[in-house]
Amino acid sequence: MHRPVPLQPSSQFTTPERLKTISISIILAATAAAHPVAFEGAYQLMFGSTGDVQNIEFYRSYSAQTAWGLHAMRFEDDEDEIFTGLQHNWLLKRWNLPSAQANLYAGLGAGLAGDVGNGSSPAGIGFFRADYETRRVYTAFDAKWVESADVSRGVFSAAAGIAPYKAEFDQLNTWLILQAEHVTGMEDKLDILPKVRFFKGPYFLELGSTLRGKPVVNFMIHF
Amino acid sequence: MKIPSIISFLALSATFAQAAPDRVATVKTTVNGMVCSFCAQGILAHFKKHPAVSNVHVDLTRKIVLLEERKGKSITEEEITGHIKKSGFEPVKVERVKETFEQAKAG
Repeated sequence: MHRPVPLQPSSQFTTPERLKTISISIILAATAAAHPVAFEGAYQLMFGSTGDVQNIEFYRSYSAQTAWGLHAMRFEDDEDEIFTGLQHNWLLKRWNLPSAQANLYAGLGAGLAGDVGNGSSPAGIGFFRADYETRRVYTAFDAKWVESADVSRGVFSAAAGIAPYKAEFDQLNTWLILQAEHVTGMEDKLDILPKVRFFKGPYFLELGSTLRGKPVVNFMIHF
Repeated sequence: MKIPSIISFLALSATFAQAAPDRVATVKTTVNGMVCSFCAQGILAHFKKHPAVSNVHVDLTRKIVLLEERKGKSITEEEITGHIKKSGFEPVKVERVKETFEQAKAG
């Protein structure tokens, strides 16, 4: 497990520290775009940042209902908290309808969590996700928990979106999404995140901002 | 002894020839749940690896997957439904159509 660099004024950074911090920011990157299980045989890499929470997840789907892999989360508060661990995801139920799809997912994992610079202790992670999607409408609810001796966080988000046009399989898909997110223990009780989602082929990108002006970036790829 | 063997060989060859017709065929599968191209990438990934498939087209509007079989090769209905399920979707109907792949793709 790497040791993250505590946040400092940029003027105090040496070049290697700055590079390390940039690397960690890129590596530890988001939740509501999560695609916990893909198709059988797929690898999926997801990273991003929604306000005060950053994620990176890397999974191997060994069936269309199950995946396992690595998950790292960072809660950027007065003290930075980091979780890193192994996680297993399940597609509990999927409704494949003629013009819609709905899913229930859950996941459990174990690893280490702690305040940056103060060591870490054994930790557990769990999540539940429900979503419903047509070619024009998208809704999702996510709940995620991280618990250890020093870290106790819950991330709850709900999102709804519309596609301004019906994109075909080979075309660029565009979605306008509004997400509400609450992280337990954070100063702001509720973050509102307007964002734009694009995907084409195996690439997925979301860009937006919280109403407080923090950037929102989510990226996913299947291969 | 040789004549029955030759007859058996010819009969066996005829059976295989029937299973793998010497022409390019198009297979149309109706699929439920295909609403997102990002989520349906598995369909492309699975069929592209199949040795009997030369071309794949996913049509979200018509809710179909079109496959073009290689000349002399064939993909079974079980393989098609299996690949669709491994991709996370529900196959509804598999049918071999008379149109060429491009004609079926154009609708």
